[in-house]
Amino acid sequence: MRRAPRLLLTPVLLTGAAVGVVLWAHSGAAGAEVGVLATGRLAARLREHVALCAVSTGLAVAVAVPAGVAATRRTLRRLAPPLLFLANVGQSVPTIAVLALAFSVTGIGFRTAVVGLWAYSLLPVLRNTVAGLAGVEVAVVEAARGMGMSPAQVLRRVELPLAWPVILAGIRTAAVVNVGTAALATFVGAGGLGELITVGLDNQRDRILYTGAALTALLALAVDWAIGTLGAVVRETAASGTDSGRP
Amino acid sequence: MIEYQEATKRYGAGTPALDRLTLEVPAGETCVLVGPSGGGKTTALKMVNRLVEPTSGRVLIDGRDVAAGDPVELRRGIGYVIQQVGLFPHLDVAANVATVPRLLGWDRRRIDSRVDELLDLVGLDPAIYRRRRPDELSGGQRQRVGVARALAADPPILLMDEPFGAVDPVTRGRLQEEFLRLQGQLRRTVVLVTHDIDEALRLGDHLAVLAAGGRLEQYGTPAEVLARPATPFVADFVGAGRTLRRLDLLSAADALATGAGPATEGPAVDPGATLAEVMGALLTSDAPAVRVAADGSVMGWVTLDSIRAALRVEDAAQGAEERP
Repeated sequence: MRRAPRLLLTPVLLTGAAVGVVLWAHSGAAGAEVGVLATGRLAARLREHVALCAVSTGLAVAVAVPAGVAATRRTLRRLAPPLLFLANVGQSVPTIAVLALAFSVTGIGFRTAVVGLWAYSLLPVLRNTVAGLAGVEVAVVEAARGMGMSPAQVLRRVELPLAWPVILAGIRTAAVVNVGTAALATFVGAGGLGELITVGLDNQRDRILYTGAALTALLALAVDWAIGTLGAVVRETAASGTDSGRP
Repeated sequence: MIEYQEATKRYGAGTPALDRLTLEVPAGETCVLVGPSGGGKTTALKMVNRLVEPTSGRVLIDGRDVAAGDPVELRRGIGYVIQQVGLFPHLDVAANVATVPRLLGWDRRRIDSRVDELLDLVGLDPAIYRRRRPDELSGGQRQRVGVARALAADPPILLMDEPFGAVDPVTRGRLQEEFLRLQGQLRRTVVLVTHDIDEALRLGDHLAVLAAGGRLEQYGTPAEVLARPATPFVADFVGAGRTLRRLDLLSAADALATGAGPATEGPAVDPGATLAEVMGALLTSDAPAVRVAADGSVMGWVTLDSIRAALRVEDAAQGAEERP
């Protein structure tokens, strides 16, 4: 793989930056800061944050991609406008309000935060799934049908591979935005890097605040890189004729 | 054999897209559906592989109603070349060509050798083109891949919707030539749609001229359609140059005059040359006749009079065929 060195540049830089942030946090930590900024505690916040984002984005993809597929089937095309409306509502209500609403149903903790983030990330995934599938050339779909692909085969072998870059862009947007939004999860007691930010703010401990903010930003960049790379790899393997489209 | 029986397609009220089309395409021959847009050509074509279902009437393949079975199975047995080619842009040439064999579950080795065979057949070197993507091909090359893809599983029937529509005139002429060569070799039952009367006359064993409203105006061989347009619409569609076009369909051998040669010897042509070519030779020389020679020996002469006679003979023959 000739591209391997370039491929690894971003993760190496991001890891280096994260190590730098942690070292900086430890270098002058005093009093209460020492406990909050201990490596183990930071790792725990990071894990919580990653779990929140991964679960909520994963659930959003699991719901929005099939919904987008359904909304572009000929028989169900009328479903698209109401679905997009619902997803729009999910996104236009401020996150904090979604969290508050979810809080009244599921109480405090991880689940509530996931529900809020999930509702928030449905729209980009759904919208891009619909746009991606609608953007597949009509002639190509007709050729596929005319050659004897069943509707499921047309979807799997032609429509989804062609719409994939657009769908993935939606997932990427949703995931990256989720990393930022998940900083609010601390308000419903779900922890995450946002906890560092609020603790830092509440106690006027800038070192804690900056550490939380910097780690959140680095995580967002890492997620962006990871999903982008995944997309490129999938596209490449799907393109070589021998690896794709077997029954 | 493909048979249309009163096949009609209506979209809502108003004039139908295709109006009670009845015709037969004999096995191994090429039927060209030709006419202006709105004539229902593509509609008629798509009825064969059930991308369009008739509102009434039916389409039979070898006596079996196409509506009887599973459309997916039906389509796998029919080659389909679509207007804008419709190659899968995310797959390379080999994977595109292999589409139907894969659907049919052929094994890898058989598919690979079939792909190479087909690329050779349509004049693309497999070593070079197998791994190319559609966006790395010229328009003409894409059309060739489209044809190879349609032929992949060796279907007895081939549907071609404006197959050479998206390329420049020079490439188009070459692709038409290749089509004739392939069809001479493979003898598939072909239904081909075009709005270009010259293409229709060149490629078709039979022409179905369709007018707006999906009415069949005439069904016959190119020679019949040129010699005796059935309706004013057909005469108009075929155009004022139809007599000249007929000369494309006849050869020097058809207008051969023997006996005493003319006073001045004109240029020589091959007996297989079209009368249009002979006419050209006549017009550009001062001689009243063109020599027809094969292997160095003169077979006879073609003169303006013998060309006239040939057209009259053909008219009479067509007339006799039409009278039962």
